[in-house]
Amino acid sequence: MTGFIPLLKKELKEQWKTNKVLILSSVFLLFGISIPLSYKYMPDLLKLSKQPINITIPTFTAGQTLAGYAGNIGQVGLLVIVLVAMGAVATELRSGTAVITLSKPISYSAFINTKFLAMSLNIIFSLTVASLVCFAYTFWLIGSSDIISYIGMNLLLLVFLEFSLAVTLICSCLFKSSVACGGLSLGILIFQAIISSLPVIGKYMPGKLLDWGNNLLTGSNITYWWSLGIALALTFGCLVLAPQALKSKEI
Amino acid sequence: MTAISARNLSKYYGPIKALDKLNLEVPENVVFGFLGPNGAGKTTTVKLLTGFTHPTSGEAWVAGEKVGHGNLALKAITGFAPDVPAFYDWMSGLELLQYIGELNRLSPKEIKLRSAEVLVLVELDKAAKRRVGGYSRGMRQRLGIAQALINRPKVLFMDEPTSALDPIGRKEILELILRLRQNTTVFMSTHILSDVERVCELVGIVDKGRLLTVSTVSALQKKYARSVFEMEFTENAAGFVEALKKVEWLADVALDITNGKPLVHVRALEIEKARKELPHMIGESGLTLERYELTLPSLEDIFMEIVKSEQRQ
Repeated sequence: MTGFIPLLKKELKEQWKTNKVLILSSVFLLFGISIPLSYKYMPDLLKLSKQPINITIPTFTAGQTLAGYAGNIGQVGLLVIVLVAMGAVATELRSGTAVITLSKPISYSAFINTKFLAMSLNIIFSLTVASLVCFAYTFWLIGSSDIISYIGMNLLLLVFLEFSLAVTLICSCLFKSSVACGGLSLGILIFQAIISSLPVIGKYMPGKLLDWGNNLLTGSNITYWWSLGIALALTFGCLVLAPQALKSKEI
Repeated sequence: MTAISARNLSKYYGPIKALDKLNLEVPENVVFGFLGPNGAGKTTTVKLLTGFTHPTSGEAWVAGEKVGHGNLALKAITGFAPDVPAFYDWMSGLELLQYIGELNRLSPKEIKLRSAEVLVLVELDKAAKRRVGGYSRGMRQRLGIAQALINRPKVLFMDEPTSALDPIGRKEILELILRLRQNTTVFMSTHILSDVERVCELVGIVDKGRLLTVSTVSALQKKYARSVFEMEFTENAAGFVEALKKVEWLADVALDITNGKPLVHVRALEIEKARKELPHMIGESGLTLERYELTLPSLEDIFMEIVKSEQRQ
């Protein structure tokens, strides 16, 4: 992968200079703080309402709170990742910066994979900060939870987010329009989410990783190893195919 | 030695022949002007020769390297300045050149030295630390050339380098191209004839995907020189012009007014006949002749003639 180091340096700088680190970490952190707060004070907030509400709000456990956080990251966080990543290649193709870079002695795979790696590091950083804050806040407000299960849940969440990023990146190689890329990426991710809720075939979908993470926190022993294997294979496949897709496209 | 060589290089988009069987040899250290109207196939040729587009058929070599998508050795010895260069706006001009130097695998010492050199060459040294996002169009164009030169390319491809510049910006870029030809072969695609006339030693004329001719500017002027006559009169020459238009061995008869005097341009289809008969016709017209000469045609005249004769065929 010729040109990997300078490309990675540039991509990391770009993540910082274009505020992508700030955006992603802020969104993740918002959930890391707001979920334990809302789970803790939801009953009190409802009591303050002047309208009589006949709903019994259960007291949430630490595990349920952390699972709620993961669920939000898996949905809204994923949407933010698609929004941040959808222009990674498409914008460069449209603006013409890709022509400048690709006219140099670098490989197409380095061009794509450094984008993936830089964004992955951003996701890892944002997820780590938000998860630590969420765990500490949950411990302080609600109670303790099993840290090993929580780390496992976060790792599964990370694999799912990386899969989503790889799908967005390959879509970004197919279009010059970021909107078209974002639309296709979301379409694919929503489609796999629908399939993952179906019986029999659902357990093979990457979306099941979120259920597995949930199970870890709630004490269930149900695992989805096929889902993990397929998510990793699809992520790898996207990263292999994305440079080929870009090569076949005439810039 | 040949810097660029193309054999039957073609690119078809369905039934459209963007480039049809290009056969071309460009020698080293010349500025080669690749001239043609919009849609003639100039950008397609540049994209093919730089490896951005796959040919439908044919092959090409640049500086001895076979042109192809994955040939990184080719990219290491060539430079490419696109028509509208785009950069990462958050970088400064200097940062961009350092980044491009790293992509070209230059050592840190070389990058520092070469960045400073090319910034001076394109007269951007004073703006080196400014963000590219704040650069004017002309500055961006010059930075586009600077980034293409950082690796001391053997062949530099420039796609319409002056197309969107004001007269001052154009002049600066053309002067820069003239300075480059000492060490580099420049392949410059353009539709601006006066630019080619000013900087190119060798010119290729392309239209509708076909290369019509390759020659030096001076050879083209010599070839077409004797066919254009210019006559200046004291009196109104409208009647004489009408009479000339009816002559079958003359073409492109035009009347201009220069300094208040009528100036008649005419192109002869039969040179010898025109040389013999035109003075008689002037004498018979009763007009007072102030000047009569065979002129060197501009590249624009030559271009129009070549393209028109091709269309007639």
